[in-house]
Amino acid sequence: MAGVPGRRSTGHRRPVMSDLPIPSSPFGALREQLLEAAKTFADGPDALADILTGMVDDVDHALREPLEIFPVCHHSPASALAMARRLREKQPKVIYLELCEDLQPLLQELQNCRLPVALQAFASELDGFPSTWGPLSVVAPITEASAEYQAIAYALTTRDVEIVLVDRSTDHVFQWDPHGSGKGESAVDTTPEAAGTQPHAGKTPGAAGTAAPSPSPASGSPASALGSAQPDEEQAENAALHGEAVGIQVGHLRPRFGELEEHLLRHGKVQHWSEWWDQYVEQPLINADYDTYRQVMALIGSLFRRLTPANDRRLAIDEERERYMWTRIREHLAASGVDRSDCIYVCGAFHAVSRVAEFGSDGAHTYQISPRTKTRWLYGVIPSSYSAIEAQFGHAPGTVSIAAATWNKALKRTGITPFRLQRSQSGKKPTKAKRSSTSAPASTEPVTDRLSTFLASPPLLDSFDEAELLGWCVEIVRLARDNGYLASTADAIAVFETSILLANMRGRRRPTPYDFTDAAITCIEKDSVPKRRDVRRLCEILFGGDRVGRVGYDSLPPLARDVYDRLAPLGLALEKHTLQRALLDLRAKPELQPCSDLLWRLRYLLPPEVVRPIMGERHLGKRSIQESWDLGLGKYQRALIELGYEGVTVEQVLEKRLRQAVHARQATAATALAAVEDSLLYLDNPRLTDNLGARAVRLLAAERTVDDAPEVLRRIRRLLAYYRANQPGLPDWFQEFVTAGYAHYCTLLPTVCLDEQTTVEHVAAVLGFLFSMENLALSLGCDRTQLELAVLQSHPETPGKQALIWAAQHLLGRLSLSELRERCDELLANPLVLPSFPQYLSGFVQALEPAPALAPFVVELISKAFARLPDSVLLPWLPTLLITLRNQGGAMLPRLIDEAGRTFPARLSDVDSWVPPWERRASGTAAPAADSADAPVPGGPVTDLLIAYPASVDAVANLLGCEGTWRSPGDSAAAGPQSLISPEVSALLADYPATAHAAADLLLTSAGR
Amino acid sequence: MTEQILRPPAEIKYAEELDWLESIDDGPKPFSWRLSPRMVRLFILGSEPSDGLDRKIEQKWFGDRTFVERSIVTLASDRGLLLIGDPGTGKSWLAELLAAAICRNSTLVVQGTAGTTEDHIKYSWNVSMVIAKGQSRESLIPSPIMTAMEQGMIGRFEELTRATSDVQDALISILSEKYISIPELEHDNTVFARPGFSIIATANSRDRGVNDLSSALKRRFNFVRIPVVTNKNREAEIIRFRTAELLRRHQIDLEVPPSLLDILLRSFADLRAAAESATSDDEKLESSLSTAEQIGILEDAILHSNFFGERTLTPEILAGSLVGALARRSPEDLAILNKYLHGVVEPRSKEEGGLWPAFLDGGRQAIAALS
Repeated sequence: MAGVPGRRSTGHRRPVMSDLPIPSSPFGALREQLLEAAKTFADGPDALADILTGMVDDVDHALREPLEIFPVCHHSPASALAMARRLREKQPKVIYLELCEDLQPLLQELQNCRLPVALQAFASELDGFPSTWGPLSVVAPITEASAEYQAIAYALTTRDVEIVLVDRSTDHVFQWDPHGSGKGESAVDTTPEAAGTQPHAGKTPGAAGTAAPSPSPASGSPASALGSAQPDEEQAENAALHGEAVGIQVGHLRPRFGELEEHLLRHGKVQHWSEWWDQYVEQPLINADYDTYRQVMALIGSLFRRLTPANDRRLAIDEERERYMWTRIREHLAASGVDRSDCIYVCGAFHAVSRVAEFGSDGAHTYQISPRTKTRWLYGVIPSSYSAIEAQFGHAPGTVSIAAATWNKALKRTGITPFRLQRSQSGKKPTKAKRSSTSAPASTEPVTDRLSTFLASPPLLDSFDEAELLGWCVEIVRLARDNGYLASTADAIAVFETSILLANMRGRRRPTPYDFTDAAITCIEKDSVPKRRDVRRLCEILFGGDRVGRVGYDSLPPLARDVYDRLAPLGLALEKHTLQRALLDLRAKPELQPCSDLLWRLRYLLPPEVVRPIMGERHLGKRSIQESWDLGLGKYQRALIELGYEGVTVEQVLEKRLRQAVHARQATAATALAAVEDSLLYLDNPRLTDNLGARAVRLLAAERTVDDAPEVLRRIRRLLAYYRANQPGLPDWFQEFVTAGYAHYCTLLPTVCLDEQTTVEHVAAVLGFLFSMENLALSLGCDRTQLELAVLQSHPETPGKQALIWAAQHLLGRLSLSELRERCDELLANPLVLPSFPQYLSGFVQALEPAPALAPFVVELISKAFARLPDSVLLPWLPTLLITLRNQGGAMLPRLIDEAGRTFPARLSDVDSWVPPWERRASGTAAPAADSADAPVPGGPVTDLLIAYPASVDAVANLLGCEGTWRSPGDSAAAGPQSLISPEVSALLADYPATAHAAADLLLTSAGR
Repeated sequence: MTEQILRPPAEIKYAEELDWLESIDDGPKPFSWRLSPRMVRLFILGSEPSDGLDRKIEQKWFGDRTFVERSIVTLASDRGLLLIGDPGTGKSWLAELLAAAICRNSTLVVQGTAGTTEDHIKYSWNVSMVIAKGQSRESLIPSPIMTAMEQGMIGRFEELTRATSDVQDALISILSEKYISIPELEHDNTVFARPGFSIIATANSRDRGVNDLSSALKRRFNFVRIPVVTNKNREAEIIRFRTAELLRRHQIDLEVPPSLLDILLRSFADLRAAAESATSDDEKLESSLSTAEQIGILEDAILHSNFFGERTLTPEILAGSLVGALARRSPEDLAILNKYLHGVVEPRSKEEGGLWPAFLDGGRQAIAALS
């Protein structure tokens, strides 16, 4: 003991009460005996003696406190049994419990729940904590086989009994322990149990009462040490029920440093801490009388406390908590005037032997409770599971199920009636039993030394229960067979024999579940696991398996209740743990439409696995008439409950989230448009949509880059299509967005063309917005000159953007197709710019966004490149072209390929005679010149009308400053009426005149008649 | 006697300790066991002060206590024991210790190979004696397993899965009926196993799929899987223990500095982590990176220092041994080690200093020499 690293020096403690022995201690004889032992065995004069006598003094100190202290350990059936016995015997009026005081109102809700559940405090709006910590969540799991549940159930089911939670608030959990509370070092702590079967000198999780979730609870379990089985999916899901919450539990009792735990495990010849506890504390104490129980628990608490390393941060927090708890107890005693002999204080054994100055109902009044932060905490009950508790607090897999089985067995054997909260089926408050007036206050009895006897005598071992072991053997073989093992009766016999042999070797008469598990693994497990579950997991199932709690309807937050109510027409058992399949035929049953709407909203708000559409979609302007859903609201109840912390109805939460999204610091116009889209999809709330849209306009105007331009373009086009198809007019915000966007992107265009960070796609999206929204923008009062000037001012330096600007100039009529073609031909002919030709090409491909009509030209360009470039240039250039097209033109390629399909011959035989259309045009004799003044005037009713009534045309011409003269149809300086016809048609008629002659003959004949 | 044997088996090496344990053992002993199960456990895992013994028993096998307990109770039951695990995890050593503690004879061993025949498991004949005298018990050569049966001892079968399936299946009847028939003889043609007989087999889990055990044979064995030790403290203990033993055997007086041992352990931990995250076989070393591998490297480095060096173990020599032992495939293994040296050791040698820079240099030289 003297060599214990970092043992606390009594000389350096914080102000605490004296450790000196109390003169008339009943433990005097034991103290003397231990001092003698210390002198004999220790290498130093003080170290061991200090610890041993100090432990006895601690026990004495705790027992002398007039307010009865009940030391407990978490998930300990022995504690729960002793508590049940003691409560029936003493019938206390007030119970003080080591649990966060602000969780008090939740205790009432336990009667609506199926255990295990966890009391939860949740805060997403932080004030006083760094925002990076959020959301903060604390859970306190409650199981039936625990002393705290017995105390709570007694208090809630007995009249005139009060239960008072006295521990620091959840807010203080984070105030005092910012590093250990989930985000910091305890999250990476490992424990011997969590790290496999081999104990090591690592740190143990916070015995200060908090534990962050283990990073991968089952990954290092003994099961995985077997090297074959992965934890099955269901187990992993159940183990994650607490999410990222920080866990707190009553009576966390475990050695504070790895070496001590390792030492205890090695000397105790056990695998892990839970087994040690079961063998050396739980089993001997389960039948012990109350005094022995108290003294032994206090002794263990003292042992771990005295062997806490000197600089342990958690000890300082523990002492702070003890001051807090005793201060609260004294406040309550003073306020209520209750006699302290009628009270009982339930706390972890570690705290029962505290030596802080504030300890005791007569302790010092020196502690000032610090105020909470302004963080708004929300409270609720969430489902928990044994595996979640094991994962959270680093217990070996199966520990809590074994504790539950031990509890049930002990209840049957001892005949003790435990306290239970009855579930209120009718919604009525359960009636409370009357408190018996004949209570037995034990504090008046003198304390007698039970420790000496307990420590000196061998533990009372459980007798061998053959029927129980036989039952286990038969059952494990059945389970193994079901899970693919080739197990038989011979294996059952072998497991039976091996269990007994193992138990004997370990000094037990009755094989414990741990012995049995080892025996089953030895005899049944072979070199591989046939299905998902290995034998260890099967043993866990055998001993009760994982149990998942359920929060009753009445304890759910209003939002969750509302969801259940509104989904009731589906007729499904949504509270069940299994997935429920909902089929909605909205044409046959239109009354289910509200359910469908709600499901889509839930799908938007909850994690994807909670509500999952199997069939059916919802997009802007598209709704399914039949839908099919997988609903896991029972299985993932925590998600729904935590959603309930955000608001009273789903719609309110959705609205809140959408507003938060558009007002977030990093919000952009694209996110705002997404929010608009979501509001149209999920909420029928035009006012909200308008607000979100207005925000989008402001966000767009404030943007200084075009990073989101492709997204904005995609969304605004979709919204435009939706509004045109579904609503009589465009909403105001949309019109504003278009006009603001037109001006905004016109302004930015010259800058982004030069900006190296802006890619071709972004510029293409900007041009896409400007040209596809142009008509609308102009009709709303925008000026096209702005766009023309913007394009004129744009002088890009990269080939891709240059190509885009050329395309824009073409669209604006400033560059004809023939000029564009000429420029590109020049590029192809210039060996210096040839290497950058793919970038030009990429720019033209992107230009299909604003100018889809350029598709034939782009096909022509690519074809020309392939036709004209020599192989020595083409082949090295080809990969670049492909990569450029793949990276930058993915979305445009289908359009390009369609166009190429139209251009190129479909059959191989046609290839030889095929002349590209651009070459045919070039070789044509009479290419029409559209803008020539000599162009023939086409005849027809329109021309006739305009010639008959020229006034309006003259007026427009005057307005535009055009001067011209009227010509009659067919009037041309260059050619006769035939020039009106396109050269292809003329050539066709010249080659095959028979049809035309026949038609003319027919017409003449008809006219003659 | 021990001094004349290069590697004395456990029952000779620890004879005095076993005698003493036997003299104080008052626990119930199954069959003809020389020690009770608890004493067997104590012999293998060492004693604690709480055991209340007059002398300290050193720990000889370092691993989970449960594995030892499960192995012992299996031998006390009707089934054979199959220790399965990666190479270098101490399976054979545990088997030897168990046999030595239970029956004081760990040498009744059959080595499984592709050439192992049924004769090696059952019996064969002394041909010249058969020609001279005919077939009789006298001219019969019993296998180690048959000897174990006759004497009620533990027979060992090393690398069971290296033997072909039909040969393996010869064990089925031995483990079930507990006798071997000798049809060649007319009389006295059955050898019955005496109480205390059992078989400890070992199998390499990396050989899975080579000669898989039949279901019938699997049923007659209890499997105990021995994992690779990943606990650093425990691994350090194992290496110290085994290295001290090797040094004694080689009669070399050389100190292994703790900081060098730490370098070796951390290097292996890093390489194991890299192997775990590798997605293909080419990205991980061919070596199983077991504890035995570390002992081998250390032994190699010690011998090198002793005979060719300055009689002190230096980081350069250790790095050379590490690279030499782990680089089995070129270029895959060399590339991984090169990556390790430059990606992990180099930054660490800048950060921590100490012996790491010298270790890095040694590693570089070794890789350069092999490349």
